[in-house]
Amino acid sequence: MLILKTYFQVLKKYSGVVILFTAILLGFACFNFKTKDNAVGFSASRPDIYVFGEEEETGLSALLRDYLEEYANIRKPVLKDGGSGGDPQEDEAVEDALFYRDVAMIIRIPEGFGSDFLDGKRPALAVRSTKDAEASYVEMQLERFLETAGTLQQAGYSEKELIKRAREILWETVPATAAGSMDSEALSGATFYYNFANYSLLAGCVYAIAMILSSFRGKQIHRRTVVSGMNYRILNRRLLLANSLFTLLLWGLYVLISMVLIKDVMFTKHGLCYMANSFVFACCALSVGFLIGNLVPGKEALSGVINVVALGSSFLCGAFVPVQWLPEGVLKAAHLLPSYWFIQNNELIRKMETVDAASIKPLLINGAVILLFAALFVALTNLLERNSRRRRA
Amino acid sequence: MFAHNFRYTLKYLLKNRMLIFWTYAFPVILGLLFYLAFSNIEKDEKLQVIPIALVKEEAGQAAGQGENPAGEILEETVKSLSKENDPDRLFDMEYVTESKAKKLLDQDKIRGYLLLGKEPQVVVRENGTEQTIFQQVISQILQQARLSQAVTDSPAMQKALSGISSPEEARERAEKVLEGLKQENPNIQDRSGDHLGYTVIEYYTLIAMACLYSATIGMYAVNSMLANMSRKGMRISVSPAGKGRLIFSGVCASYVVQLLGLGILFAFLVFGLKVDFGRQILPVLFLALTGSFCGLCVGIAVGALVKASENTKIGVIISVTMLGCFLSGMMGITMKYLVDKNIPLLNRINPAAMITDGFYALYYYDTLNRYWLNIGSLLLFSLLMILLSVWSLKRQTYKSL
Repeated sequence: MLILKTYFQVLKKYSGVVILFTAILLGFACFNFKTKDNAVGFSASRPDIYVFGEEEETGLSALLRDYLEEYANIRKPVLKDGGSGGDPQEDEAVEDALFYRDVAMIIRIPEGFGSDFLDGKRPALAVRSTKDAEASYVEMQLERFLETAGTLQQAGYSEKELIKRAREILWETVPATAAGSMDSEALSGATFYYNFANYSLLAGCVYAIAMILSSFRGKQIHRRTVVSGMNYRILNRRLLLANSLFTLLLWGLYVLISMVLIKDVMFTKHGLCYMANSFVFACCALSVGFLIGNLVPGKEALSGVINVVALGSSFLCGAFVPVQWLPEGVLKAAHLLPSYWFIQNNELIRKMETVDAASIKPLLINGAVILLFAALFVALTNLLERNSRRRRA
Repeated sequence: MFAHNFRYTLKYLLKNRMLIFWTYAFPVILGLLFYLAFSNIEKDEKLQVIPIALVKEEAGQAAGQGENPAGEILEETVKSLSKENDPDRLFDMEYVTESKAKKLLDQDKIRGYLLLGKEPQVVVRENGTEQTIFQQVISQILQQARLSQAVTDSPAMQKALSGISSPEEARERAEKVLEGLKQENPNIQDRSGDHLGYTVIEYYTLIAMACLYSATIGMYAVNSMLANMSRKGMRISVSPAGKGRLIFSGVCASYVVQLLGLGILFAFLVFGLKVDFGRQILPVLFLALTGSFCGLCVGIAVGALVKASENTKIGVIISVTMLGCFLSGMMGITMKYLVDKNIPLLNRINPAAMITDGFYALYYYDTLNRYWLNIGSLLLFSLLMILLSVWSLKRQTYKSL
């Protein structure tokens, strides 16, 4: 009891940093989760765009806007200068939105676009885009509109008839069905959260555990413990218990946060898989904390090592960047880190259609790899400790 | 006295291994991690060739039964969009049975498949841009057939065919009308700028972090002069040496140590990782110098204001810096934008965001207004830190040493 009490007293000293890692996770989750409707079934992507043009659009210009609205979200920018003077297209809010991929494209419909087009001219639509897949999609739709409207105009249709025909043609789409029965948006959100939790869980556990172990193994404290009647085996066992309790509490807190933020998923079988996977990883983080606490002498060096380990494995294994965007060589090297297997499991859960014996088999294999890592770290810690005891003796 | 203290502070700082790690090694390690993690993002966000499958028969339907006349057009067009060496290749298509297509979809090997039955149908597994493009391209192929019909029904065609009874002559006239229609080349002017690579923000936050880590150097320099922190501080406190001059020389030495670290980081980013800082090198350097000065002032303020051990002060500096860098986009590029949009005040008082935003303004904008606004904010923030430090240091008295 004494050790447990002391442990949590020392933990209090380092709680600020653990709270910081939790705040980072919470901040990341809150900023990135958008409330979405239940998205079971296929719904086409609708990139966000800005469209600038005449105040009162009629005829072909209005048709173009309607068409764009059908396939994209036309957003109204909140201008930084409040819309007072200047070209709204050059407002910082508009420029920033494009740079940070908040909108995929900015389109300017020139004045008199409709009448000029019907006169056989082909006025230019000025666009600025992010050049990504969403921007390519909007550009594809724009080209389609201009080609269709142009051909109909050349074929001699009047404005009214052209608009009617264009609507019949351009609004026709092939039906699409989504084979998956899961809410893919919600599952992506949960995967995103648990992937990022890799950093918070690893950094939080390793930081607190390593720092506290370092306090207990400080020269003075260690000497006092040796001369006291306390058996070192009991001390180690109680320290392990206290560290396990702390890890359990931290894991429980992160699961609780996920239950509040992504309740649609967390109370399903998929949610249970995310929880179990993160629990296995938390056990591994506990063993990493033990290893680093024993391996690195001095608290000053510890914070450096912890930051490199936590940030390094998070960047290399896909906690901050989607796994599919990581270079192949990096992913191959990441196989040597437990975070990789944890994140792979999160991705597998996201893609799982049903949770049954067959689908959880790869999860169990990856989980076993994480536990093997944990066992390896524990063995290394024991080896190090035995050597250091021999040296001290 | 100035030169003496400057020299010894320099020696003291350069011999501190922890400090060398945080200011020299850690930013370089992190830069390397960024490079490894983000080098593919901009390439991958562009439209890639979409893997799809084509199912010619629906389950339980024999070949040739209930075929759609548009099916052939669909098949041919998708085939032509899947040509291997075509630079405009859109799809990577394979012919499979429906059960195989389902399997490939479950294994995430294709984004979707097209059922060429009586009614063509697109099947995908989940929502996404690639899936939507697949559906829309198939729709556009069918729309083309409708457009051809509209041209056949058009006033120009009706006029050309009026009064003609011979089918051959009618066909000739119709072909002439179709030939007369010019190929439509959509007039879309792309005015996108060159500087759209948004992963540079990561490297900017890294420089912001390196600048703010100079706070540890500033803190060490001040700590060594505080009587309650070290024996050296005690000796300085009871010596007749002017404290203002001592602190000033200590800060100057700290600044030199920081600039050395910043120089290493810049050299690594520019020559090693080829990070683009835009065209204006002098403003880039000036911003880095101002950012480092700001970091130094933060360190002095923490050293003077926080009444705790050296380790706790380091913890405060590293935590505040990490939080500031997180909010300015270090762990997710869009974070800075989200904070700017939703809680702009938070980034207005965050020096990491000011530094990152200054670099961003130089990279993305043609004018320097936003850049100078950030420089001004950094200097104001630094002044506030100095005033707080002076206020705290002046009030310090010791009952006993």
